[in-house]
Amino acid sequence: MKDPGRKITVEDLLRLKRAERPPPEFWARFESEMRAKQLAAIVVKRPWWDGASRLFAAVQRHQLPFAAAAALALAFVGVHFVGGGSTTGRRAPTGAAGPAAVARVPAHQAQVAARADTPREKVGGGALQAAKPEQPVVDSNTSHLAMAPVAAQTESPSRAPFADGIGIPLVDLREAGSDLIKRDVFGSDREFEASVASVRQPVAEPLAQVDPAGARLERLLAPALPAYSSSSVRSLAGDRMKQKASYDRMYESMDRYGTGGMSLEFRF
Amino acid sequence: MNASKAIAKTLVASPERRLEADADLAIVRQVQAGDVAAFDRLIVKYRERVLGIVYNMTSNREDAADLAQDSFIKAFQSIHRFQGQSSFFTWLYRIAINSTLSHLRKNRLRSFSSLESIRDDDPVSREVVDALTDTTGAGREAFVRELQEKLNDAMQKLSIKHRTVVTLFEIDGLSHQEIAEVMGCSVGTVRSRLHYAKQLLQAELQPYMRG
Repeated sequence: MKDPGRKITVEDLLRLKRAERPPPEFWARFESEMRAKQLAAIVVKRPWWDGASRLFAAVQRHQLPFAAAAALALAFVGVHFVGGGSTTGRRAPTGAAGPAAVARVPAHQAQVAARADTPREKVGGGALQAAKPEQPVVDSNTSHLAMAPVAAQTESPSRAPFADGIGIPLVDLREAGSDLIKRDVFGSDREFEASVASVRQPVAEPLAQVDPAGARLERLLAPALPAYSSSSVRSLAGDRMKQKASYDRMYESMDRYGTGGMSLEFRF
Repeated sequence: MNASKAIAKTLVASPERRLEADADLAIVRQVQAGDVAAFDRLIVKYRERVLGIVYNMTSNREDAADLAQDSFIKAFQSIHRFQGQSSFFTWLYRIAINSTLSHLRKNRLRSFSSLESIRDDDPVSREVVDALTDTTGAGREAFVRELQEKLNDAMQKLSIKHRTVVTLFEIDGLSHQEIAEVMGCSVGTVRSRLHYAKQLLQAELQPYMRG
């Protein structure tokens, strides 16, 4: 029944929307679908970022303590690694690192020496055969290359902090250098022994190694004169060749000065 | 006096809502303690309201059912994060509205509307229909159908945020403060959106209005 006196507003019209309801059978279907989705949500494995989101939610819940802890950690890291480099407190750990680096050297060289001793003990000769395994370590430490960084580390207790940074690479250089020296001089580190270094062959004079003229000429002519293989024939051929060479040199010098006829010409 | 009470009711949550929120929190604590079946009580309690919100925002029954179910599943999966700082229904509404907004943004170009039937036992709606038409039978049903379509079209012409405010305030009956909590905006923003949305609806539904 139409009521023309009734005022109709937007709110009244929207009340119609509030009265819209699904039929009762809709809720039965809704509930069954809801149950299936709920079970699927329980069974299905959650993705990895769900745990991350939980962690983030926990962090977000306690923002202030986490922020304070992070600020403290940053301050500690900044003071320890940036601001603490020139303080005296930094020196103690580096001083402790120095002996540790020195202690590394005998251990490494002991391994090298032990490897070098093993074949000699099998052979059964040499002065090092009777020595204990620790003794080659002492011998190798007595070399100036091995002693240099040790002396550098023990010389001044009030050295600058960057000296520690130099000392450790020197130790490494000594280790690497000793290996290189061993390999270059003796072919391999297996042939190394400390006593061999003092019995090294004297270096020959370079001029003494030059062949004499006759021997050199004979060595040069040997492949060219295969028939004259004996030393006497070779010496005879060498004499002839020397004589011929002296003649050739004389004629060549005469041509250079232009000795033709009665005149003497100089050519340049 | 009554007008001031009505205005106050629109601004802040009613005491009944607060009692309801306390009861919900007790159920949520049970679920968090491991009583998963207790969550079914929350579903039964809020399914019609959640479905009504989503339906009035989407104007599609099937989408509304799916989105309402998804909202409950999300709430169930995230129930361990609920700390009780807001009421459960505010939290659940926020999940439902965020899901609906995401759905509407994804399917901006696709819109299929389907209508629910209006219950005859609602006196206000029957009174409004009686005021608008004097027909009975099939003619009345056709008029109501047409009015529903006009209402849906007018709602769909609103922006998503304005539609949400109108739905929460006019259809679901939330206060401005509750809407502000649900939508994550200020009360002033809620009022402004509500005022603007009503102006647009009045322009669209002018043929059906009187007085």
